[in-house]
Amino acid sequence: MPRVTSVVILAALCSAPASRAGSRELEAGVEDLWYRTAETPLNRDNILGLDENENLLRGSLSWKQTQGAAKLVFKGFVERSSGADARTTWTARQAYAQYGWGPGVQVRVGKQRLAWGSGFAWNPTNRLEPPKNPANTSLEQQGSLAARLDILPANWAGVILVAAHGETGAGDLPFSVSASERNTGALRARFLVKNTDLAAVVSGGERQPTLLGFDLGRDLGGISIHAEAATYQGSEIQPARPEERFFRLSSGLLWSRGTTSVTAEYFFNGEGYSAVQTRAYLGSLDAAYAAATNPLLPPAAQREALARYGVFASLPFSGGLGLRRHYLYAAWARSEIRGKWTTALRGVVGLSDGGVALTPGLVYAPRSAFTISLDGVILLGPSDSEYRLAPLRGAIQARVKALF
Amino acid sequence: MSSLLLGMLLAGAMPSADTIVRRADKAVLGDSVTYRLRMSVVRPGRSDRVVEMDGWKKGDDLGLVRYTAPAKERNTAYLRSGDNTWLYLPAGEKVVRVGAKQNFGGGDFSNGDIFRLSLIKDYDPTLVGEETLDGIACFKLELKAKNRSVAYDRVAYWVRSDGTFYPLRADYYTLSGKKLKWLSVTKVAPLGGRERPTLLTMENALEVGARTLLEFLAIQDDARIDDRIFTPSALEKGE
Repeated sequence: MPRVTSVVILAALCSAPASRAGSRELEAGVEDLWYRTAETPLNRDNILGLDENENLLRGSLSWKQTQGAAKLVFKGFVERSSGADARTTWTARQAYAQYGWGPGVQVRVGKQRLAWGSGFAWNPTNRLEPPKNPANTSLEQQGSLAARLDILPANWAGVILVAAHGETGAGDLPFSVSASERNTGALRARFLVKNTDLAAVVSGGERQPTLLGFDLGRDLGGISIHAEAATYQGSEIQPARPEERFFRLSSGLLWSRGTTSVTAEYFFNGEGYSAVQTRAYLGSLDAAYAAATNPLLPPAAQREALARYGVFASLPFSGGLGLRRHYLYAAWARSEIRGKWTTALRGVVGLSDGGVALTPGLVYAPRSAFTISLDGVILLGPSDSEYRLAPLRGAIQARVKALF
Repeated sequence: MSSLLLGMLLAGAMPSADTIVRRADKAVLGDSVTYRLRMSVVRPGRSDRVVEMDGWKKGDDLGLVRYTAPAKERNTAYLRSGDNTWLYLPAGEKVVRVGAKQNFGGGDFSNGDIFRLSLIKDYDPTLVGEETLDGIACFKLELKAKNRSVAYDRVAYWVRSDGTFYPLRADYYTLSGKKLKWLSVTKVAPLGGRERPTLLTMENALEVGARTLLEFLAIQDDARIDDRIFTPSALEKGE
């Protein structure tokens, strides 16, 4: 969303008076995302120009105004990055207007989160929003510029229609990735059948194969289970495989007792690389970089090789849901002492290569309207595993929020 | 002959079990109501956990509560529609299904207790007789679960017989007959334009001293509530 549009929406929100029929929520915060960077096959000779320590400092604002059947929402931040390439950027995570006509029809327009799919860490049916940050899937996501129509003909059935313009690159990283933008149309038909949530999904658009998917969620003896699956023809990540049909599935559970909760999710990424394909991918990276730095080649060939290297190096962060085929996400969280402290341990394991992204977290709420969150990101595993290939060694992500 | 006459007189004077349960169902919250609630979870040797929430209830089938404090749990919400319960987790912007038997918000109430919108829907009541409990005259009822999805197999239920039909106590049992917990109404006060039970305490039989208090802070009866807020779709959008 352009900065001017965000500012206009924010100004409109600020000027709207809160009446007895409406409500308003305002939240301000500071976020600091510190990254320890590394030279890896995705960042040969530090071609990304990263400092050893990269920092993203943000001031964030969240504003929600409800007035009868209308709602206006703005969530955004201004960010100052560190290092030689330091710059200030403005970003609207969400900025939308919503209106409902009676109980059955609702329209939402603007940059918005769509929460498309039941998966916790992976949403195979979601082509509408950027993929989650692979290093920390719990970070607040950016939305997509979209128009969404919800039709609820009955309590047991509903249809959601979305037209969205979104990016394919993961956010909250200290380096830019070679990602593209895409326009997507999607339909989700939801049904409640025998105490089970079912949904059928179809989506398609430019620069993407048509996707068919389903979603299922239910309670099973005190455990919440879900499964989200998709199929499409033609790969999302290189190499192009236009004739091949791929399947993706994320399936998991949520169990809670008292103030403790445990979440687990398995993800099968049908178009992920096998061990042989991974070696070929790493070989392509090496070959592209060798050509880019080969003084015997003409400058134009070097530049072309460098661009190719940039595209290859961005693959884990642009468009796909991971390089490999099998993943496991697990999380444990517990609230303690007057509910002021919450400790959490989250982890994503690449079952295909043994890589691990471990994310311990702590939330402290000393007052009812004040929250401090601290997450660490630790990347472990073999040096050629997906999470160790990332040009990062670890991260600390701190967030302070105050509600007014 | 005299005992038969007495029985007939009693039958005429005493309301049916169904009527008692229906009247007790409405004694705390009306048919279409909004409320504000404070939940305090008490554990021996540990500080209390206090959560505040807003609630909406419509008819016997629709209920919604949304946390308002503490800040880190704000907008966490539970939705009940018929036999289905969903939980909205704002951090992940996810809606997940939860069961009636799972505990609510880390306390001693189950989701079924909080969203027990109508006991008469979930249980078959039998009037056992009259008893005096803590010096208060009560009807004593036995409630038997209609199906296995209900939080408890059997409930012993005491309702005041002084015409108010305020619930006074409920003991909850498992299928094996083990007492799991018991609910007491510990405060009756004017709220929302009439006198009603305003403080409910659930004590846990499995952990000595463990209990959870639900205190109504505000209640508005006969509220106009849009049905749209009781759908998973609305819950998913944080409404």
